[in-house]
Order: sequence, then structure tokens, then C-alpha cells
Amino acid sequence: MSEGKGKDSAGKPEASAAAGGRAPIGLLALTWLVPGLGHWVLGRRTRAVVFCAVIVAGFITGVALDGELGIPKSGSPFSWLAAFACVGNGVLYALRLLWVNGLTLLSSEVPFGLGGGGDPMAVGFSYGNTFLYTSGLMNLLAVLDVSDIARGAKD
Amino acid sequence: MDHFFLLVWHALLVSTFFAFLWRREPRDRVRLFAKSFLLMVGGGIALGWLMYPFP
Repeated sequence: MSEGKGKDSAGKPEASAAAGGRAPIGLLALTWLVPGLGHWVLGRRTRAVVFCAVIVAGFITGVALDGELGIPKSGSPFSWLAAFACVGNGVLYALRLLWVNGLTLLSSEVPFGLGGGGDPMAVGFSYGNTFLYTSGLMNLLAVLDVSDIARGAKD
Repeated sequence: MDHFFLLVWHALLVSTFFAFLWRREPRDRVRLFAKSFLLMVGGGIALGWLMYPFP
């Protein structure tokens, strides 16, 4: 089930008329919010399904292992990196934050003061964090892939 | 879930993702998947043994 199309004689992806242009911001935002949606919209259905399944599975595994979502904490630069990776999960991140914090999410000083869930004493805590970071970063890479496809720089 | 299972599960997810991200032909995808999966699992086990003597 190859999705490969539009290659020139040298085997490189064809440069479309839009190559070098900008990818629609809305499409990139959709891809970030819902893993795989951008690929689906662009007709890359196989990739869309696989990316969605892999990212959601990684996120659920991270939550099931009592991993903690990255939340920015003042005075802790690494927490910002963790937050960056986790925010990559898009709507999954928002739903988990809502699940953990409830309606206090609306009244707290976002992004500070929120709970990321998880249990640091749990056996799977570090593993859970790794799964949460990995799934978020994979989704961000998927956003870049959609950007390349939309610009015609990649098939 | 034991540590080895989590190692394999993580390698499976990441290898699948990159196989579909970086390759377009099914055969190339299978090859990249197998290579990265084996490297991650084998590398994890090797690193585990290398760290074994250290406290």
C-alpha cells in the first residue's frame, strides 16, 4: 500500500507549484491538535491512521504508567522542555489537563499552578514520562511532515 | 508491565512512526522498521548489561 507518488525520474519528489510557499497555518494547527488529521486531509490516509494510532497509544501508555504531563514551573528550565514535548500531544494534552485539574484549570494562573497528574512514587513514573514526551515529539514531527507535504517539498 | 515489555513497546511505536515518516515504499518501510526496532531493543539490552557492574 504505497503512498509514494509524484516522483521524477531521479526518484526525488516532484516540486509542485506551491513548493517554497507556506503551509496553511490552520492545517498545521489541526495536525497538532488531532494527531493524523493533517495527513488525512492531504489524502495520506495510511500515514494518518498509523500516526494517530501510534501517538494515541504512546500517550495512553504514558498516562497508564502514572507519567506526569510537563507543566512549566518557574525556576525550573527543564520543566519548560518537558512542557514543550508534552504540549505536542495537542488535544490529548488539554484533555488530560482537564481530567487532572478539573474546572480549577479555568481559574488557575495558566500555565503555572497546574497539576500534571501522575505519581512520582509509582514504579512506571519515569517510563510514563518518557512515553508522554515521545508521543508529543512524534506529533510535532508529524506537523513538520504535513508542512512539507502541503508546500510540495515532499510527497 | 515489566521493563523489557516497555522497552519493546516503546521501540515498536517509535520504529513504526519513523518507518512511515521517512519511507514511502512498503518494502523500505519494513526494512527501516526492522533495523531501528532491532537497534533500539538490542541497544537497550546491551546498555543494560554494560551498566550492570556499576552500582
